[in-house]
Amino acid sequence: MTMRIERINNGIVLDHIKAGMGIHILKLFEVELLHTKIDYASYIDSPSLGMKDIIKIENLDVDPKMLMKMALLAPDITISFIRDGHVDKKVKPEVPPLVEGVINCPNPKCITQQEVYLTSRFQVAFEEDGRLRQQCLFCEHIFYS
Amino acid sequence: MRKSHKIDEHTIGEKMEPFAFKGRHIIDTADLSNDEIMHLVKVCDEIQAMGDDKARTLCKGKILATLFWEPSTRTRLSFEAAMYRLGGNVLGFSEAKSSSVSKGETLADTIKTVSLYADIIAMRHPMEGSALAASQYSEVPVINGGDGPHLHPTQTLGDIYTLIKEKGRLEGLKMGFLGDLLFGRTVHTLVRVLARFGVELHFFSPEGLNIPAYVRSDLEAKGAVFTEQEGLGGRLAELDALYVTRLQKERFFSEEEYLRKKNSYVVDRETLTRAKDDVLVLHPLPRNEEIHPNVDGLPNAGYFRQATYGMQMRMSLISTCLGVKA
Ligand SMILES: [Zn+2]
Repeated sequence: MTMRIERINNGIVLDHIKAGMGIHILKLFEVELLHTKIDYASYIDSPSLGMKDIIKIENLDVDPKMLMKMALLAPDITISFIRDGHVDKKVKPEVPPLVEGVINCPNPKCITQQEVYLTSRFQVAFEEDGRLRQQCLFCEHIFYS
Repeated sequence: MRKSHKIDEHTIGEKMEPFAFKGRHIIDTADLSNDEIMHLVKVCDEIQAMGDDKARTLCKGKILATLFWEPSTRTRLSFEAAMYRLGGNVLGFSEAKSSSVSKGETLADTIKTVSLYADIIAMRHPMEGSALAASQYSEVPVINGGDGPHLHPTQTLGDIYTLIKEKGRLEGLKMGFLGDLLFGRTVHTLVRVLARFGVELHFFSPEGLNIPAYVRSDLEAKGAVFTEQEGLGGRLAELDALYVTRLQKERFFSEEEYLRKKNSYVVDRETLTRAKDDVLVLHPLPRNEEIHPNVDGLPNAGYFRQATYGMQMRMSLISTCLGVKA
């Protein structure tokens, strides 16, 4: 496997991202990535996924809610927390069947779009083809990632 | 994949469960088991059997709030008439313009406030899932009178009551649905409940306005018996009931296509000569041209009686959710 990106000393390494989804993962961050060194390689050969994306972000930490958001976009994702050049811990977030307050419903007619204090609720399950089915429990709109 | 609080309609079976409607919200017919629906039907009959004067004592001193962020005169009047016939009082608003919503009040704040004034809420709101959201904020039962194009359970329950009163049963009935079946929310909810009760479904719609894929796959999953075709054609003679829906010109590809096809979706006296003598014609109202007024005088015209049954079902829902009727 050819690595197109450099080692980092402190930060996070996001690996096993379904190819092409890396850009969507990066979009989850708003201001955190300003003035930050990011390495992003996409469509790398992967023995388990066929093709995958890898992202390395220096001097960044992520909370459990962000881990869940990333897992909903890329269910196979692994996150390594790097400290002083070593892997401090490596996690693979599990997607629970009920996801509350993590993602927003994309249906513009959904009440959760209007009532900002309403906690979003999604029923989440894998389809036979491996896609992640997400159903808003308010409008019952279904979408996939 | 249903909401977690839902009761699986297939697990209840023959066993009669005790019914706990008091304090309950009515958001979606999928939340109700077949036995619970039949219980609501039984309460409709019981209230009617009490006679008008006695029925008017049931909700004496109780207040229904009708909160209509989106105008729907028919549904609102039906709820309000239902409450007055139970002896209760009504307050509310009939469009967002005239309410505090136009001043930017959230649904949460409106519901929290109104549930301090009223004993029960009937609401219509243009956003999908609004009734479920409201039920989370409310101290009192919320009845969904339509959440955008999503759900409209009281219409469905009224239609079920209509069929039972007019046809005496649901199981084995052959029921036709005519018109625009793609956008008709009424039909989507109704057919899924009818399938649970063993009604045979026959769909007649213009090409491109057929029932949506998710309804079709849901019916297949329930093992429902159903057919789909264009125009009424030969099957008309087999039907026990025909549910006609509004045919809107703008749904058609062109004005020309509308004019060409319109006649296959209009029911008049001549159409009914090809049907069973006692075929029941229903329509959620308001209608356009799809039922000719010359049908109105026939005993087959069930659509005005349907509005009465709808109101009676709302009486049943209000009184059971308030707990004044077990
Ligand atoms: Zn939604």
